[in-house]
Amino acid sequence: MGTLDSALSIIVGSLDADQGALSVTTNNLANANTPGYDRQIVEFSESDPIQQGNLSFGSGVTLEQAQTVRSNVLQLQLNQETQTSGQLDSFVSGMTQVESLFNETSGTGLQTPLSAFFSSLQQLSTNPSDSSLRVGVISAAQNLATAFNQSSSALTTQQSDLNQSVEQSVSQVNTLTSQVAQLDNQISGITQSGEDPSALIEQRDVALQNLSNTIGINVIAGENNNITVTTGNGSPLIVGDQSFALQTQTNTTTGMQDVYSQGQDITTQISSGQLGGQIQVRDQQIPSILNQLDTLASSIENSVNTQSEAGYDVNGNPGTALFTPPPAGVTGAAASMAVAISDPSLVAASSDGTSGSNGNANALAALANQNIVDGQTPSNYYSGTVFQIGNAVSNATAEQTAAQQVTQQIQNQIGALSGVSLDEEAANLTQYQQAYDASARVVTIISELMNEAINLGQD
Amino acid sequence: MSIRVDPSLSGELIAGINTNQQEVNTDLQQLSTGKSVNSLGDNPAAAAALVGNDAETAQVDQFQSNISSVQGLLQVGDSTMSSVVNLMTQAISLGIEGSNGTLSQSDRQSVASQMTGILQQMVGLANTTYQGNYIFAGTDTQTEPFTVDASAPDGVAYNGNTEVNSVQLSDGQSLPINVPGSQLFQNSSGDIFGALNQMITALQSNTGFDAANTALENAFNAINGQRVFYGNGGAELNTVTSFLSQEKIELSTQQTTLVGADMGEVTSNYSQAEVQQQALLAASGKILAEPTLFDYLPT
Repeated sequence: MGTLDSALSIIVGSLDADQGALSVTTNNLANANTPGYDRQIVEFSESDPIQQGNLSFGSGVTLEQAQTVRSNVLQLQLNQETQTSGQLDSFVSGMTQVESLFNETSGTGLQTPLSAFFSSLQQLSTNPSDSSLRVGVISAAQNLATAFNQSSSALTTQQSDLNQSVEQSVSQVNTLTSQVAQLDNQISGITQSGEDPSALIEQRDVALQNLSNTIGINVIAGENNNITVTTGNGSPLIVGDQSFALQTQTNTTTGMQDVYSQGQDITTQISSGQLGGQIQVRDQQIPSILNQLDTLASSIENSVNTQSEAGYDVNGNPGTALFTPPPAGVTGAAASMAVAISDPSLVAASSDGTSGSNGNANALAALANQNIVDGQTPSNYYSGTVFQIGNAVSNATAEQTAAQQVTQQIQNQIGALSGVSLDEEAANLTQYQQAYDASARVVTIISELMNEAINLGQD
Repeated sequence: MSIRVDPSLSGELIAGINTNQQEVNTDLQQLSTGKSVNSLGDNPAAAAALVGNDAETAQVDQFQSNISSVQGLLQVGDSTMSSVVNLMTQAISLGIEGSNGTLSQSDRQSVASQMTGILQQMVGLANTTYQGNYIFAGTDTQTEPFTVDASAPDGVAYNGNTEVNSVQLSDGQSLPINVPGSQLFQNSSGDIFGALNQMITALQSNTGFDAANTALENAFNAINGQRVFYGNGGAELNTVTSFLSQEKIELSTQQTTLVGADMGEVTSNYSQAEVQQQALLAASGKILAEPTLFDYLPT
């Protein structure tokens, strides 16, 4: 029934709705710079009309809800891309350090001492009985051995640094998963009680993104806004309200920390996130480069030793090994490379037993151009290693740039959908304020009408 | 309805500024090093090829150093050979003078003692050293190769060997750097010491001059045939030297092609990136200070 009372109750409802809308707008403004915040929009709806005979009277407005504008699909894409970026970031950072050890473009690397060693033998061939040239051969051999030792030990140090990073990443994963599980628990409680869990979902999104940056994950949405999170290979991280911590355990063969989930070694299956990049450099790239250094070192040592033993020293005695024999299994050859002789007269330059013969010095120098390392010359073999390192960095850097661009694009899309626009909020604010003003004005008018009605008939 | 755009521009602006800053840094690095490849990842193939280039360059440098070391040895050998030939010429004229039947016994005696002097000088030349090494001893360079020894067939014993050292001058090319002394001084087609001793004996006994003269002639011809080794060796060194210089230029050109920066291009890239950076910063300042609708609301 269209009474003044009903008009008053309609307008009070409108004032409530406008106030609610103003508070949503204010909250949007307050969180304009909060990471992960998704804007909310106000949904008004018309209250059910009151039917009276043939007449239908409106009963005002209701503030239905503050709807959070977000896209789960975009969030998932962002997580995916963050995993890729995390992996590439840690891979590139690890490989850049490896790369700097062999930077042939600035002459730091193995080629310089390698060339110097073979040159010293050539120089000896021009005057094989000269003791200063013999000393030159020994010191060039020592420099070569030192260069191999240092490269190898620098790689090993980087490997153990990465090993520490792996441990740190695993503990970060565990911190984040327990955080997500806790939020998940709260979210399902709030959802079940029919309230809006948006704020907590946003916090969970931020935590999930940090988790994605650290390790590759799959997120499966469940009931009551709950999620299940597994690693990329399917090992459980969060199921229900429970988080499952990853463990590390020392691998007895490599001495490195392996990553375990529920008693299972999943180290080789972690391919994305920072952890993935760290594991790839630690377990694949560095061991492969170390192996190539060992192969190069042991081949040079063996060939030089064999040729030395075929010649004679300056006193006509049969030649002895120039380098200490490398380990039989190649592994560790670069780290343990050392010169076996310190007496320059022992350098086996002679091929006929006389001190003036240079035949064996020539033969030793010629090893530089012989296929003594895995069917290649020492320089060619080493340039293959250089290419492999450069290529790994170059490919990963290109992918990194691409991933950064994709991430930026997704973030733009998320921003376009969920970001708070100050202009928009200003317009809304003005609109709600004016509606509120108008409603307040109506209250005054109804109050005047009421007064008139009360005083009706009085003088 | 219009498409909603991301209201926050700062993320994209910062990304743009970072990307451009990277370009500026890359250009600056190229300008300061003069190289377009400053780490292996910049161009893995060029970095790998550079390793080969460095190895070859080091070898060419070493070949050049080999040549300068060997040059001295061959020069000493060559000038010693000249002295040997001069001495032989003297010996031949003395021999002809001595075989002239009109000479008195005492004159012949004096020619014989001059001839003995020549023999001694000849042994001295045959024991020439260079940098402490006997150059006519084969490879047994620490032992005096020739000693006067009456029991030897030609009066001088050879203590060296018949080995030859070679030194590498370029890829696949090596040069023998000595001729064993026995081949020079005691050649089967003309033994210098034997011929000199034969003439001394002839002068002392006043017989057998013809045979002695012939022996001297043969020895002279033999040494003249052998001495070209040193001259030829020197000439070969000169040829190889210019070949190596050419190869060095090619290697250095190749290196520039591989990793050298095109300075003109880099400079222009750099100024472009600088201008872009200025523009980006100016635009960012303006965009971030841009008023919102709030600035226009009545207060």
